[in-house]
This record gives sequence, structure tokens and C-alpha cells, in this order.
Amino acid sequence: MATHRRASARLVASFLAAGLAGSVLAACGTSSADGGTQEAQVSAEGVDDGAELTLWTRAPLEQQANLLVEAYNASHENQVELTVVPNDDYVAKVGAAAGSGGLPDLFAADIVYVPNWVQQGLFADVTDAIAELDHADQINQGHLAGGTLDGRQHVLPFVLDVSVMFYNKDLYEQAGLDPEQGPTTLAEFSEQAKAVDELGGDVNGTYFGGNCGGCLVFTWFPQIWAAGEDVMNEDGTESLLAGDTAQEVYGVWKDLVDSDAVGEGSKEETGATWTGPFLEGEVGVMPFPATMLATADEALGEVGVAPIPGPDGGASTFVGGDGIGISKDSENADQAWNFMSWLMSEEAQVEVLAKNGDVVSRGDLAENEYSSKDPRVLAVNEVAAQGRTPLAINFQQAFNAPGSPWMTMIRNEVFGEGGTVEPDNEEITAVLGQ
Amino acid sequence: MPVTPSASPPTRPAVVAVARRRALHGWAYAAPTALLVVGLFVLPVLLVGQMSLSDWPLLAGNQGLNAPENYVDAVTHRFFWDSVVFTLKYTLIATVLLIGLGLGLALLVQESSRWSAVLRTSILVPSALGLASASLLFYALYSPQVGPLSPLLQRLGLADGPVSFLGTPDSALWSTVFLVVWRFAGFYMLLLMVGLQGIPHEVIEAARMDGANRWQSFLHVTLPLLRPSLALCTVLCVTGSLLAFDQFYILTKGGPDNSTLTVVQLIYNVAFQGQNDLGIAAALSIVVLVVLVVVNVAQMRAMRAGQED
Amino acid sequence: MTTTALPAGAASPPGPTRPQARRRPRATRARLAGIALRTPYWVLTGGLALVFVFPLIWAGVASVAPQPGSSQVDGWGLGNYATLMEYQAGLPQYLLNSTLVSTMTVLFTLVASVLGGYAFSRFRFPGRNVLFLLTLAILMVPYATLLIPLYVMLNAIGLQNTLVGLALVLTVFQLPFATFMMRISFDAVPRELDEAALVDGCSSFRALRTVLLPAVKPGIITVGLFAFLAAWNDFVAPLILISDSTKIPLPLAVANLRAQVMGIVDYGATEAGVVVMALPCVVLFLLLQRHYVRGFMSGALKG
Repeated sequence: MATHRRASARLVASFLAAGLAGSVLAACGTSSADGGTQEAQVSAEGVDDGAELTLWTRAPLEQQANLLVEAYNASHENQVELTVVPNDDYVAKVGAAAGSGGLPDLFAADIVYVPNWVQQGLFADVTDAIAELDHADQINQGHLAGGTLDGRQHVLPFVLDVSVMFYNKDLYEQAGLDPEQGPTTLAEFSEQAKAVDELGGDVNGTYFGGNCGGCLVFTWFPQIWAAGEDVMNEDGTESLLAGDTAQEVYGVWKDLVDSDAVGEGSKEETGATWTGPFLEGEVGVMPFPATMLATADEALGEVGVAPIPGPDGGASTFVGGDGIGISKDSENADQAWNFMSWLMSEEAQVEVLAKNGDVVSRGDLAENEYSSKDPRVLAVNEVAAQGRTPLAINFQQAFNAPGSPWMTMIRNEVFGEGGTVEPDNEEITAVLGQ
Repeated sequence: MPVTPSASPPTRPAVVAVARRRALHGWAYAAPTALLVVGLFVLPVLLVGQMSLSDWPLLAGNQGLNAPENYVDAVTHRFFWDSVVFTLKYTLIATVLLIGLGLGLALLVQESSRWSAVLRTSILVPSALGLASASLLFYALYSPQVGPLSPLLQRLGLADGPVSFLGTPDSALWSTVFLVVWRFAGFYMLLLMVGLQGIPHEVIEAARMDGANRWQSFLHVTLPLLRPSLALCTVLCVTGSLLAFDQFYILTKGGPDNSTLTVVQLIYNVAFQGQNDLGIAAALSIVVLVVLVVVNVAQMRAMRAGQED
Repeated sequence: MTTTALPAGAASPPGPTRPQARRRPRATRARLAGIALRTPYWVLTGGLALVFVFPLIWAGVASVAPQPGSSQVDGWGLGNYATLMEYQAGLPQYLLNSTLVSTMTVLFTLVASVLGGYAFSRFRFPGRNVLFLLTLAILMVPYATLLIPLYVMLNAIGLQNTLVGLALVLTVFQLPFATFMMRISFDAVPRELDEAALVDGCSSFRALRTVLLPAVKPGIITVGLFAFLAAWNDFVAPLILISDSTKIPLPLAVANLRAQVMGIVDYGATEAGVVVMALPCVVLFLLLQRHYVRGFMSGALKG
């Protein structure tokens, strides 16, 4: 194939020469699905020798990725070039590149996809390098576990996002609620939402991405975890979403929908605008991504923050966001590791992420210069350290994909007649177990 | 390459030589097309064919032969038949509306007055937009947050509460159909207008002389003469609608509740949004390709048969 | 365009401005009756024109209107365009990329389809029908599935992640329309024209260049215009085929910009993006209207 590489000048000849055989060979060349076996030989610091590194991320993380890359480039010889890909097309982009050995040096992935991508061998093994890090034991466990296959680690947390309850203090006050006290049980959440909804006009009690599988796992799983229950078995091959607690959770939301306390457009919300109505001040209380705290404050003045409760109390959160790893195709693994190890440094975590109001990925940095100014940020950081990341090989297909069985179940339970929890749950299990 | 029968039977060597040189020239002129078609269409399609016979996860590449499981999985996919039914329904609606409307508009803007020209231009302008840009534009128009349509309908008293354009299966379908009609009506109007111009004036005058009223002369004279143009439009519209993707991908993502899932959207989902299985996606594509070839051959046959009448 | 008295439904009574009607004493009454008859026509057609133009005008207005959650929160202004201007590699870079890709696509499409149309129309050669049908068959393949194989093919010839490669791919998807169009355009030119040139001793290429090209000019403009529109607006092909953030064309940049932050669509920036994408297309479309209408006409004779 090498002879065909310089062929841009000899387009015509190449077309014929490369032919079908060539194209098939090129596609067959990368058929290792046995997990990340290649090991990057790297030291704790990696190499900083002025290499050009490429990094891909999806559009929702653009802001954080830009800040991190700028800070890194300013203080290092290596230069990272960032490519942003639309969220919905990220998998297609990575897939096309992975099949032909065209992955960038570094790339981030939605943490719930990471187990699958690691199993497909997209990331290089960085177990030994991670062990060399000073604060290895402080790194977010959920993300590390997501990138672990057969005891070998492949990813570090890139940007963390956790779900917490946000409420609009102004609307709470107008509705006669205590603006300093968010809901501590789902029952309270429902009462408060309905109270705010009474205000009428454009104001609604709550809002959710009713047609967005990803939004719903992010915001509803914690309500089940908070009661001490699981959403899947440990291997991520069996769905436990037909349990009593789960049904209680669906019931709370169905009641809110039936009593019209949910904002217009919730039912068809595909996730593209699911945080919009709250930021416009039209929603009283809803589970929200914590990364939006700064944005929400800017739009609404100080917003209230509370952990997501279960039906009878408790608290939990979904530790989402993206993990990052070195790709199997990288020829600059040592230099790429330099970026990854810097990412875990106090400089990156505190001076870039915390400064921007983002959640830090190291437990020991939860309390820092910026978070200590705002008890809400501190609370978010602490809840993140104890949050959970659900892991399953077929997570995307079972939950996030448009038309996933999880979507079908929620829509039946919340918008439809209900009563099909068991078979719907079995459908999720069937997809998880494929 | 199969040799097509030569037009003129060779009688003298000189004629053969000339014909051969002409053929050579013909090939030379067709060479760029042939290179592009072979290199960036035939070979990729063959590769799709190979994928459809192989176990081919998106992220891991070819894992070896896997026939005919992909085809079995494709037609037994839980959304396969739903998507087929929806695609056919959408194709029928879009084709009837676009061609009916295209014809109506073509008749309406026939006159060469200034107002007709303005009208023609405004109907044609949406055709300048890409389907993706148009879909983005309508995504905003239909949005419950910034869209102006819902408040407008309420103010006009046509709706009681906020209108949800993409919320129910029916509204999502019709909202998408509206976008497609908006984007393509001008194009079909143009094609049919051109067809109308090709009908000699005298023929219709003659029909009038014979006492046919407008409707009769339209039905019995204009329409039959317009047949080739109508056939071309139908072929284009049916093929385009059966392959519909961009508009649904941007506006509905196949929702709500998978009610607007077209076959190509299903292919995209299987390949890139969850299952990540190129083998099954390729098998679905091959099925679609075969169906389209059959449909188009049938349409062209019908068209030809119609012309011979 | 010729005037015809085709049956236009109930909507085309004789125009009130006919000169012979004017001199008659009943002219005023006839005119009034004409206007009365015409009013529903104007209302109907005016409404129709509005329906077609409204979304575009709205996009233009909304892109400069104040809107929460966009870069133009207070008052009217160009905040959204400023965002677009400074986004990532910057609007000028994206415009340049889009212009390069579109120009190359137009060029490749014209070369392939003019020569190809000439070959299909004027020459008989083995494989002619097969090649023509294959070209039309490009219309029948789901675009989304071909992308991965195309990525593989471009890799094989060393054109991965290049604008040239992208333009070649976009050209292929233009070929069915372009080749068909050029073929019928050539078919519509009387054979005597180029045969005379050939008899005069011209080479077939010279005959094409000097005699036929001017005759098929409307077809060429039509094909070029549609190739430009398609290349300028395409989003899916560059998404898969281009990885360099400095090489991506405008539609992809706008798609990125649209959902920069999770769960919020920046409608303001989206509208500004749609306007910037649509503007050159609409202008070209209007400027060339006369030509492409004629381009279609030349083919219409053959159906």
C-alpha cells in the first residue's frame, strides 16, 4: 500500500492499481478486536519535545477542551491541535478513522461509551504510566473503571460532568418556597415543582429531555441509586430498571406530566435544547448538569443547587463527561502521555478546570482556591467523588441511541399507558446482553 | 465489458476503421466519468457488498465472513418493517404533493407577466438552499423556544395553545413534509414548466376549437403530452424520497417513538448510533439499492411503454 | 418565455390591460370586473409567495434580533455574526475552504460531465450504455453507507483529509444529474452542426470546443450551478472525510457551533450560519436564473 500513498499526482493510475484488492486490504489491516494489547512505553511525565499532537473531542466539551489545550500549548513544547466534532456524529467520525488507522493521537469519548471502545481496542494501554502518577489513587474511580479491561487501564478523566438538582431561587421565592432549601426527596421535588408551576404564565414546574436517552440516564439513574438500588447488574449485561424504586421514580414523573407541571416541548425534547428553558428562567426545578453552574448563574443570578434525591431521600449523582486516552494509531504515544499526565496535575485541574467552574477529577483537589469561594461548587465536587458511572459494553445501544429500548420504556411509562415495564425492561436486557 | 451492438453493420474496412476510431475517441471523452464512477462509486459499492457479507463492527473492522447472517439480522431488525412502511408512506405523500403542487404552480406561473416572474422566483429561491441548511432553518422555525410559527398560529386564532410541530408522529411527519415541499416544489415546478413550454400551442388551440373546455383540454391534451416530464419528476421524486435522510436526521432523529424512522436513517443508526455494525448497515444498503434499481427500471419501462402508446 | 393561454385553473381570465379593451366604453367596468376577478388570484399567489419567502426572511431577521441564549441578547445587532467570525479557525477560513471545495467540485463536474455528455451523445463505443446506467445508479445508493468505503478509497490513493479528495467525492454525487443534463443538452443540438465542422477537417475535440460548447452553454451553467450548490451546502461528506479543523468547510463549522454547550442550541448563531451559507447560493441562483431555466428547456425537448 505504501506505493499507493504518494499517488495524489498519479490519481489515474492509482485508481486502477489500488483497485478493489487494495481497498479491501486497507480495510482489513486493522482487525484487532482483542482489546488494547499494545502498550505505550511511557514514563510518568512523558516526553515534551515539540511534537505536533492531534486531539478530537465532541462539540459540547469544546469550551473546556479549548481552555485545556490553550493552557497546555502555552507551557509546553508539544503543541496540541484540537478538532471539534458535532456531538451526534462523533461515533461515525471515530468509526471511520478507526477502521483505517486514521485516529488522532488523543481522543476523548463519552465515558459511557468508553468500555465498548476499550474493548474494541481503540485506546492504548496506559496502566503502568498511570501507576507512576503522584495522585493516582485520587483520580475519579468511575472514569478509571470505565477504561479498565482485564485489569488494564486505558483512559483518564478528561472533563467530568455530574448531575445535580438545580432550582430557580427567584421562582421559589415567588411561589412561597424557601429559596435556600432544595428538595431532599422526590416527593418534595414534585411538590416544589407543582408549587412553582402554579405561578402560571411561561413558568413551568420542571422540564426534562423526554426524547433523549442520554439526558434521562444522566438525570434519572441517580434517583434510583439514591435509594441504594442498582440500575444494572455488575457486568452491565442485565437491566434492573423494572424494580419497585425505579417504578416509583417513573410514577413521580408521570404524575408531573399528567398534572401539566412539565414545560412545553418536554415530550419531543431530543436533548438538543434540554437545558434551555431552565436557563431562560421558565423552569422551577430540574436535575441539571453541574458544568452549567457558571452559565446558569450568569443567566439567572444565583441558582440553588441540591443533590439528586431518591423517592425517600438519600443522594446520588451520575458521573458523566468524557474520558480521554491515547489512540491505538498514535505514533507519538510518549508525547501524548505528556498531555495526559499534565491533565491530572494541579495546574490543569485547579487553574484551568476549577477556575472555569468545572468539576475536578481528583478527589484531593475537591477543596481548592475556587471551590472554597462557593459552597455549592464544593458540594458538587464532593458529590462527584462519590458518584457513580454505569458501565456496560452495549450502553450506547441500550440507552443513548435514538429509539433505544430505554427510551421506549420511559415513553411508555411516563407519556403512555404504562404497564409494560417488565417486557420493556427485558428488551433493554436483551440489547445489553448482545 | 459487454460489447453493445454496433449501430451500422460494417460493410467496408474503411468504415470499420472509422467506427473504431470513433469508439476510441468516445472512450477517451468518457474516461474521466468512467474513472470517477469506477473509483469512487463501483469500488465503494463492491466494498459495501463485501461488508454486507462480513462480520464488520464499526470500530474494529473486518472480522471475517459472516453470510448471510447480516441479511437475516437486517430484515429481522426490530425497526426494519416499521421503517419500510414509514418510508413508503412518506414517499407516497411527498411524491403526490410535490408533483401535484409542482404542476399546479407551473400552470400558475405560466404567463409572462412581471408578477408571474416574481412569483416564480420566490417559489424557486428555496431550491438554492442545501437540504441540510433548510432543515436547520426549519428546526429553528419549529422550535418551541424561538420558533415564530406557533405564536403566529395562536394569534391568528388557528391554534388554542402552543403548537408542537415535532411532538406527535403525525405532526412530525407533516412538518417534515412541509419542509420538503418548501425546498423542492420550485424545482419540480421548473421541470414541469419546461415540459409545458414544450407542448405546441396549436395543439391546445385545436382542442379548444373542437369544443373542449379548459379542464377537458388539460386532461386529454396537456396531461398526456406532459407525460415524459411527469415521468422524469416521478423517478427523481420517488428515488429521492425513498432515500430521505437529512431532513429527518436534523428535524426528528426518527422520533417521536421511532415513528419517523426512514430506512436510510435506520441504516445510519445501525452503523453509527448504537449498534455500530457496518455489516448489517451494509446489508440494509444493498437491499435498498436493489429495491431502488428494480423500482427505477420498472418506472422507466412504464414510461417507455407510455410513450409508445 | 413565451406567453401561452394554457388552462391555469380559474385563475387566468383575460388580462384587464389588453389594449383593445381600453378604447371601448365598457373599459372601466371590464377593468373593475377584471380586478374583482383577479383579487382572489392575487391574494392566493401573494400568500403563496409569502409562504416560500417567509422562512428565509425570518432567518435573516432572527439572526440580528435579540434572543436569549445567543450572542445577541440585548437589542439588535451583529453579535451572532461576530461569534461566527471568531469561531475556532474563523469564518474567513471556513469561507475559503468552502469556496475551494465548491470551485474544485464545479470544475471536476464540468470536465467530467461535458466530456462525458459529449461521448454519450455523439459516440458509440462498447460499454457506453453500461457506463451511462452506472452513472445514473449513483442516485440510488444511500449516501450514508458509502462514506466509510469512500474514506477507505481516499486513503488508498493518498487523498484522505484533503479538500481535493472531498471535491472528488462530491463530484461523483453530482455526476448523475450533470451527465444526464449534458447528454440531453448535446442531444438537443442538431448533429449537422458538428458534422459540418468535422467535414471541414476539425478534430472531434475542436468541434466540441468551437461549435458545440457555445450551443450547450445553458446546460453548462445549470450543471455548474447545481454542483456549486451541492458542494457548498454538503455536511455529511466533510464530516467523515476531513479531520483537520483548519480544513473543514462552513456547514460543518455551523453544525459545531450550533450545539457548543450541552443541551442548548445557539439558535442565533445557527440562523446567522444559515444566512451566511444561503446568501451566496441565493445570489448566484437569482443571477443565473435565466440561464438555468434555458438549460432545463434545452433538455426538455427529449423528455
